[in-house]
Amino acid sequence: MQLLMMQNADAAFPSGGFAFSNGVEGLGALRRPLTGPDLTDALTASLRHRWAGADRVALIGAFRASDDHGALSRIDAAVEAATLAEPMRVGSKRNGRALLVTHTRLESPGAAALHKALSDGRLLGHLPVIQGALWCGLGLGEAEAVLISAYQAAASMATAAIRLGHIGAIDAQRSLSAALEVIADIVRQPMEQGVTPGSSKNEGCTGVVPRQSPSPVILTNFTPFIEIAAMRLAGADLRLFAN
Amino acid sequence: MTINEPREGSALKAASAARIGIGGPVGSGKTALIEALIPILVARGIDLAIVTNDLVTREDAERLRRSGLIDPARVSAVEAGACPHTVIREDPTLNIVAGDELEARLPGLDLMIFESGGDNLASTFSLDLVDWWIFVIDVAGGGDIPRKRGPGVLRCDLLVVNKIDLAPYVGVDLDAMLSEAHALRDAKPVLTTNARSAEGVEAVADAIAAAVLFKL
Repeated sequence: MQLLMMQNADAAFPSGGFAFSNGVEGLGALRRPLTGPDLTDALTASLRHRWAGADRVALIGAFRASDDHGALSRIDAAVEAATLAEPMRVGSKRNGRALLVTHTRLESPGAAALHKALSDGRLLGHLPVIQGALWCGLGLGEAEAVLISAYQAAASMATAAIRLGHIGAIDAQRSLSAALEVIADIVRQPMEQGVTPGSSKNEGCTGVVPRQSPSPVILTNFTPFIEIAAMRLAGADLRLFAN
Repeated sequence: MTINEPREGSALKAASAARIGIGGPVGSGKTALIEALIPILVARGIDLAIVTNDLVTREDAERLRRSGLIDPARVSAVEAGACPHTVIREDPTLNIVAGDELEARLPGLDLMIFESGGDNLASTFSLDLVDWWIFVIDVAGGGDIPRKRGPGVLRCDLLVVNKIDLAPYVGVDLDAMLSEAHALRDAKPVLTTNARSAEGVEAVADAIAAAVLFKL
């Protein structure tokens, strides 16, 4: 299980994630130079105010729904609605499709069906939805899937800051270490809101005891500074990353 | 259309068009070679589309779209995330998706050309992405480029030495340069071009057709 987790969390696993700064390039364009503390602040904001209430909730919902494409579609639509900034919204779908390409070619369980659902237009393919569904099928535990998602969200932003030349590779690890503490704190807390797990047909997927919620999909996302920075960058002539 | 405007729905399907890569250093003439290839391939009845990987701007994509040589809808741009070799080698998934989307949108496509962003001599294409690939170097970059034994020069299916018209002006012994290139690449082909005048480009089109376009 741990080795499977390491394989899927590895930056060398082809997922398209390298092309997305998720707002870091935009922040750098607003604040020159982007310092280590700035990056730490951005990671903390992104994890607490986007990942915790939106990506994590969607991921867990997708993990529990896995092969229920109707449920996945509802979660996908909720991610679409909860992601106001166009560069982030489009980036999430592109990243999800890119990850699915790799798993489809690897013939990972459920990947072909997800691929067809995207082809048919039944799914949008947002990253946390694809991650949750695929990682359940691979046999990862729900807790492990959550940790991979959180780690990748933080590491991709730190890597972008390095590639953009804002911060050194060693200094970035300080920001990432701080982010790991934030992740640990978030995952200790139960989801206050979330998805109804009742439609899950994947009894083989090992997950925490589902929390009941009166609402099928409730996602919260509020990172206005990062999103405005990303939207400003989207119209720029010069940029290195997709968002 | 750019990859930033993905089609909802029929965006992914199994690949069927031949996929080739064109890589090489900045300024070697990759885009110019594609511009010269388009009319030749079109005249041969080849249905083609292009995916560009600009590093910072969308200049290559826009240059092709505005060239008048190809329907702009047949050109897609993928951002390289600051790493032109990553997007064609270590993680080609975004390019694969862009290719799949073009194929879904353009049924009957024969050939898809993936143009790398300008890179160094170590740049190579993943065979997860392309069936066959060209590496373009140019005379003005220095007659010693083949001797540096970059993986791009050594491993590509076809090495193109471009800007041969400039050899006398930049002090390069073209014959010696080509001799070294042939010697280092064993039996793999080396062609010369002046993409600006289309000299030698028919031979590049012949090589593409022989390698991946079996209907010709």
